[in-house]
Amino acid sequence: MKEKFEPNIIGFLCNWCSYAGADLAGTSRIQYPPNLKVIRVMCSGRVNPIFVINALQQGADGVLIGGCHPGDCHYERGNYLARRRMAVLKKLLEHTGIDPNRVRMTWVSAAEGNKFAEVVKEVTEDIRKLGPMEQFKRDNKW
Amino acid sequence: MVDEKELRDAVKNTVEKKDVKYVVGYEKGTYGFQATPCFAYDAKDADKFIFSPLCVHNLAVFPMLEERPPLRKGEEPDTRKVGVVVKGCDGRAIVQIIQEKGLDRDKVVIIGIPCTGVVDPKKIEAKFPGNVENVDVTDDKDNFIVTIDGKTHKVPKGELMPDKCKTCEYPTPALYDVLIGKEVKSTKKEDYKDVKSFEKKPLKEKWDYWEKQFDKCIRCYACRNACPLCYCKECMVDQLNPQWVRRSVDVPENTAWNLLRAFHLAGRCIGCGQCERACPMDIPLMELNKKIEKEIKEMFEYIPGIDAEEKPLLAMFKPDDPEDFIL
Repeated sequence: MKEKFEPNIIGFLCNWCSYAGADLAGTSRIQYPPNLKVIRVMCSGRVNPIFVINALQQGADGVLIGGCHPGDCHYERGNYLARRRMAVLKKLLEHTGIDPNRVRMTWVSAAEGNKFAEVVKEVTEDIRKLGPMEQFKRDNKW
Repeated sequence: MVDEKELRDAVKNTVEKKDVKYVVGYEKGTYGFQATPCFAYDAKDADKFIFSPLCVHNLAVFPMLEERPPLRKGEEPDTRKVGVVVKGCDGRAIVQIIQEKGLDRDKVVIIGIPCTGVVDPKKIEAKFPGNVENVDVTDDKDNFIVTIDGKTHKVPKGELMPDKCKTCEYPTPALYDVLIGKEVKSTKKEDYKDVKSFEKKPLKEKWDYWEKQFDKCIRCYACRNACPLCYCKECMVDQLNPQWVRRSVDVPENTAWNLLRAFHLAGRCIGCGQCERACPMDIPLMELNKKIEKEIKEMFEYIPGIDAEEKPLLAMFKPDDPEDFIL
């Protein structure tokens, strides 16, 4: 019997908005898929593309980056910088034949628990359709 | 055609200045189709300097390669300048390094050479195989005149030029202290034809292509070392804690390395093609670099290596950057 594929998604959420938004979704008892594994970062600008590629290498099927809405960044410009970086990274991944939808980015404020749940649902469904990430997964031989 | 006497005189004048440590240029190689980078520490060294279409290296790496050991007690730091002989693309590399504050403008003397295209070593070796000596290559409008042991061959430029020269838009250095000869204006236009045709392929086909290419990689890091813009003191692949990319040579790690190398040059790569030239496994690294170059031109209207006063691409932003991919 073939096991049903459950996507494994790493979420880099910004401490000030998206992480608080996820917190709000939890305290408001909003249901969302448990496939997202959250890593809290202080700002979405902290997310180095190396993190994304490393996550995909180590068995993540998708990566979600959450930041504050433009203009709301706690550090004023972190999310703008992250947006540029991810725009370039997605184009690069697409060019090498990795579906750019595996790397998603979203703006969620601390008051948007509902939106956070919606985003996680959408991303999980998208990645479930794409199937497991196989292209450059690291094989741990020992 | 570059007047070599003028070049030598310019190098002599530069080295003789008290505040110049040395000048990096090209000399005749020992065998085959080679020109080698060489250094002039005083005026008499300048006599060996040449410039021909065989001078393919990007000498902008040298001011960045210089080792600066910790000073002894009471020792004064050496603040003398370094002179570099640059072609159009190398000149852009220098501008880019100055832009990101890797180098001070007043710490380099730039001897600019208006370039009319160089020879691709791999292509010329395939055309004239075997052991060749006494080689001379000169430039004659639309042809290269290759002289091997007294025999001359006239070869159209398109056959021997690397791809980067075929679409070069900036043949004259953007920034220079001395210019040898007259400025050259380019009539070529970069249209990213190859990138666009590759983009149309389905994802599966793209990955199959790149998997084959990355599988060839032996991780010698020649691409990094030849690149004028890869001058981090410690590269992220040499880092052991945290170790982002493992040292094993297999497809996952090679992919990570090649993607990250390309990404770290996003908005910085000036398309000199040194990575591809240095690659012993013939991986088409410039295809990745060109793709990023095209995208940043379209998305952010940014061309690297033109203006030393501009801010680096990924260190600035506009509030209305494209964000159609954001949920």
